[in-house]
Amino acid sequence: MNIIKIWYDELQTVFHDVGIILFVVILPLAYPLIYAYVYTPEVQREVPVAVVDDSKSSLSRQFLRKVDATPDVQIAAYCTNMTEAYSLLERQDAYAIIHIDGDFADALSKGRQTVVGLYCNMMSMVYYKCAATACSNVSIAMNRQIKVENYLRPKTKREAEIMETPIGYRYTSLYNPQGGYAAFMIPPILMMIIQQSLFLGIGMSMGRSREQNGGFVIPLDSHYKNSVEIVLGKMLFYLMLYILHALYAFIVVTKMFSLPQLGHYWDFILFVIPYIVDCCFLGMVLSYLIHRREDCMLVFVFMSLPLYFMCGLSWPGSAIPDWIRHLSYLFPSTFGLNAYMRISGMGASISDVAFEMKGIAIQTAVYFVMACLIYTGKIRKMLNREV
Amino acid sequence: MKEVILRIWHIGLREIEIFSHRRMFLFVIIIAPLLCLIYFTQIMQRGIPTKMPCGVVDEDNTSTTRSIVRILGAMQNTDLKAHYASFTEARKAMQRGEIYAFFYIPRNTTDNALASRKPEISFYTADTYYAAGSLLMKDLQTTSELAGLAVTRATLSGKGVAPSLIMGILQPISIETHPLSNSTLNYSVYLNNIVVPGLFFLIIMLFTAYTIGYEWKMGTQKELFELAGESSTIAIAGKLWPQTLLYCLLMILIDVYFYKYLGFPLNVSLFRIICAGLLCVFASQALAVFFFGIFLTLRMGMSACSLFGVLQISVCGFTFPLTAMRPVFQYLAWVSPLRHYYMLYVNQALNGFRLVYAWPSIVALLLICLLPLTVLFRLAHAFKYVDYKP
Repeated sequence: MNIIKIWYDELQTVFHDVGIILFVVILPLAYPLIYAYVYTPEVQREVPVAVVDDSKSSLSRQFLRKVDATPDVQIAAYCTNMTEAYSLLERQDAYAIIHIDGDFADALSKGRQTVVGLYCNMMSMVYYKCAATACSNVSIAMNRQIKVENYLRPKTKREAEIMETPIGYRYTSLYNPQGGYAAFMIPPILMMIIQQSLFLGIGMSMGRSREQNGGFVIPLDSHYKNSVEIVLGKMLFYLMLYILHALYAFIVVTKMFSLPQLGHYWDFILFVIPYIVDCCFLGMVLSYLIHRREDCMLVFVFMSLPLYFMCGLSWPGSAIPDWIRHLSYLFPSTFGLNAYMRISGMGASISDVAFEMKGIAIQTAVYFVMACLIYTGKIRKMLNREV
Repeated sequence: MKEVILRIWHIGLREIEIFSHRRMFLFVIIIAPLLCLIYFTQIMQRGIPTKMPCGVVDEDNTSTTRSIVRILGAMQNTDLKAHYASFTEARKAMQRGEIYAFFYIPRNTTDNALASRKPEISFYTADTYYAAGSLLMKDLQTTSELAGLAVTRATLSGKGVAPSLIMGILQPISIETHPLSNSTLNYSVYLNNIVVPGLFFLIIMLFTAYTIGYEWKMGTQKELFELAGESSTIAIAGKLWPQTLLYCLLMILIDVYFYKYLGFPLNVSLFRIICAGLLCVFASQALAVFFFGIFLTLRMGMSACSLFGVLQISVCGFTFPLTAMRPVFQYLAWVSPLRHYYMLYVNQALNGFRLVYAWPSIVALLLICLLPLTVLFRLAHAFKYVDYKP
């Protein structure tokens, strides 16, 4: 019965406190939309590049026409020399320069290899990738054509096709067919928002109790005697609220912004309940540090980015140093982000994310015990003070 | 004038007194930025991710396909972790997160190639892991391309073409990429130059709003206002100078660590990029004062700062380019100190371009620094009549 009373108290507190509502209701509803809105253009197209064509031959023009025709790159200017092109880079009117040697057509007709220079402003890997992909794809296509027309001399059309690509290949980008940014950024952000807003909400609620109860984290009330009940009662409230948020993220946000959605509801539910419980318990443990309501923002907000990087999604897990990987096992987000990404984005089943689920289970147990110990300590301290 | 300076000095001393009682303050403004600095430079220590786990399904299993697989195994980014018996097994491994990509060679590939029946091999990347997926894609594409070229090379040799001529036939046009100023595609240079200052500016914004709002929270705002001789300018200046000094020191430390210790590319003097950094520190503080002045409550002021501070890390456009974002964010970026820091860094430190092309950012930053002037009246009003609201 005490659990229900504590659950009800927490509900009352939260919904009478605009500050906490901001964190546990508005933030999880608004942030996913904002982030999805930032990233859903998905891809950069038509990166402006400058061209210096010293060859001025029909072959070099053919090369440039094909580059211009790729979706990634757009030729913004034809320059007479590199100095002129470089000043376009400086003004950011172009992000790369394609330089075609004066020797281009001559070399090709004589069967020598020729080099096309690609100079990139490295301000963004995306621009570099666009320019490099466009040039390399065009060169591959033209190389095939030159090889067949000039040297292999096929007799039929079919033979020409075979000579162009004796072994064909096909590339499939799985789970993110358009190679978009939102499809890989947003799903983990959704789970990160759940964890961070729980930390903020629980932290602020803790700061609030301390401010209201003269430094104590729990009210002077006969219902608050057993630490296990306190921890479970509070957790129950956040669990109920956050299941709604999780479903909102999984269904509404994903649909609204057409993010990849391969997951089954059942797998998702099986994953997300332990994840929320885990985050709640760690939130209670961490809020031990929070003495005033607003402190939670100072401590928790900046953590999101380091936590996002350590989970091994945008920065490959295989490149993360060991000590950071071990550190990352302390946070629910490491497992939560990976599991959610694979369930919702890649259609993994709950057994495919067994490693992550084990991690969450161990964390939940450990943080539950820690949260209980913290509350037991607080209750004892309070009783002593009373005596 | 002397009196004004004296007031600012005393309010600053009072501020230091407050700081000395709260250990958490020191954690947030000193330890946290330093931890972030060490953490991010450590996590990307190796510059570019190499040897990422990749799988292969070789249903053909002839000496030709095995040599293709060997080529793949020798690639820089690829760590050929496992051979799978079927496509489904490889896909499952991908779903379990064991590999980022796999290569698929169907049955009879060699036979078909020898008989000119144009077989097709394929490769798959999990592009939910963007960096890993696109880096591996490059390796897999090169391998596939080489597989076909090997056949052509054999044909040409058979026709009696001299080996010295073959390269000119196989790859007549080769692309030579020159990634300017970051020739090794070092991700640490690319990301940390913005991520670390981005987090630092976020902390600055949050803490600035916090320390100002703290007066209301503690109910000492009237006392502060009296100390400042009923001038909100003096009150704010006095409160902020001690932390400003600290931020400046940290910003210099970050720059020295990046450009002198880690040797990140720096094509102008260290002094210039430090100036750019300091200007952005001031702009971040100014924005925080502005947000607080608009909302006049600690909670909303800090919420606005955290939303803006976190969002500007995305909106500044160093990962996903601003040019591809919706127009609303392109306007928003004008008031983002981090966006301008990014522009100044690209223009100066990374590329050593002429400063004249960076003037819009400098002007914008100076204007952002003036933003608090618009809320001084509101602040003065708040000092007198507004109380803390939880």
